[in-house]
Amino acid sequence: MRIEKCYFCSTNVYPGHGTMFVRNDAKTFRFCSSKCHKNFKMKRNPRKVRWTKAFRRANGKEMVVDTTFEFEKRRNVPVRYDRELVATTLKAMERVAEIKAKREKAFWKNRMSGNAAKNARDAALSIEKHIELVQPRTSTIKSVAGLEEKEKIREKIKVRAAGRKAMALQQIEKGSSSSKSKKKESRLIPSEGAGMGMGMNVD
Amino acid sequence: MGRLRRSRTHHAKRDVHRLARTRVRVKDLDQIEIDLRPGNRAKLERQEIDEEKPGLGQHYCVECAKYYETDLALRNHTKSKVHKRRLKELRDPAYTLTEAEKAAGLGQDNRQRGVEEVVKRFEGMSNDTADKEEEKKAVTA
Repeated sequence: MRIEKCYFCSTNVYPGHGTMFVRNDAKTFRFCSSKCHKNFKMKRNPRKVRWTKAFRRANGKEMVVDTTFEFEKRRNVPVRYDRELVATTLKAMERVAEIKAKREKAFWKNRMSGNAAKNARDAALSIEKHIELVQPRTSTIKSVAGLEEKEKIREKIKVRAAGRKAMALQQIEKGSSSSKSKKKESRLIPSEGAGMGMGMNVD
Repeated sequence: MGRLRRSRTHHAKRDVHRLARTRVRVKDLDQIEIDLRPGNRAKLERQEIDEEKPGLGQHYCVECAKYYETDLALRNHTKSKVHKRRLKELRDPAYTLTEAEKAAGLGQDNRQRGVEEVVKRFEGMSNDTADKEEEKKAVTA
């Protein structure tokens, strides 16, 4: 009994679940759901469909190179049963899963690291662009403010937004200049912070 | 990487369910990849006359896995957008189950376990016999 992987989205297909398609050259394709089966029938390329694992791996959304991937394997040659080996493997499975989760989290953090500055810049830019839509808060103006007063407040908001934008740009530049040399490899390998050098005391 | 195109992706394919029937299934990209190997390609392009196939099986486009009636039709096809699109699709290596498994973090291990031990034992045996022969020689001498 084997837990197979879905041909399209790479999730687990447990025995008795999903569908199997056998092509006329005897190659088998397993699908976790009708969704995946239909996408296959439409001849879509899983590498180009955003919700598949294949896409995420091909586009640097997930860890690709890591020692934890060396553990779980489809063994096509049977291994002789050994009680000790089973015991150590069971122990190792837990530990490897733990390490993998840790590294994945670090990878994700690294991938998302530039987003705060980018969001701040975008917010500031949209204020700058659509300043005429910005309304001063009603609490700041006691009476119904005149047009001139409104303009003044808008001017203030604009200046503040410009300051925030400059700050965000600085941050982005700092990040890009420091990670420029890294960036080329970052699609496959998480940068130093992601714990590539961590030892794995498994065996 | 930007947003993937969501418009203009239908290419006038209106009846998807009909096209997905098993009896109208055409070759997949990984099968075509095998066909494109030089030996296979030559064989496919120079087929014997077959009355069952369109154009007696004489005008075949290997990339698109399709027979044409005449040479002119085949030549027109090679200039067409459909054909060029197919060439583009074939540029990358085809998607396979092993790639799907790799994406799920599942590698492959085809190592023959225990072979090393057997080899060692055989080597040891041959060494033993050699030693014995030497011993015999020593005794006789």
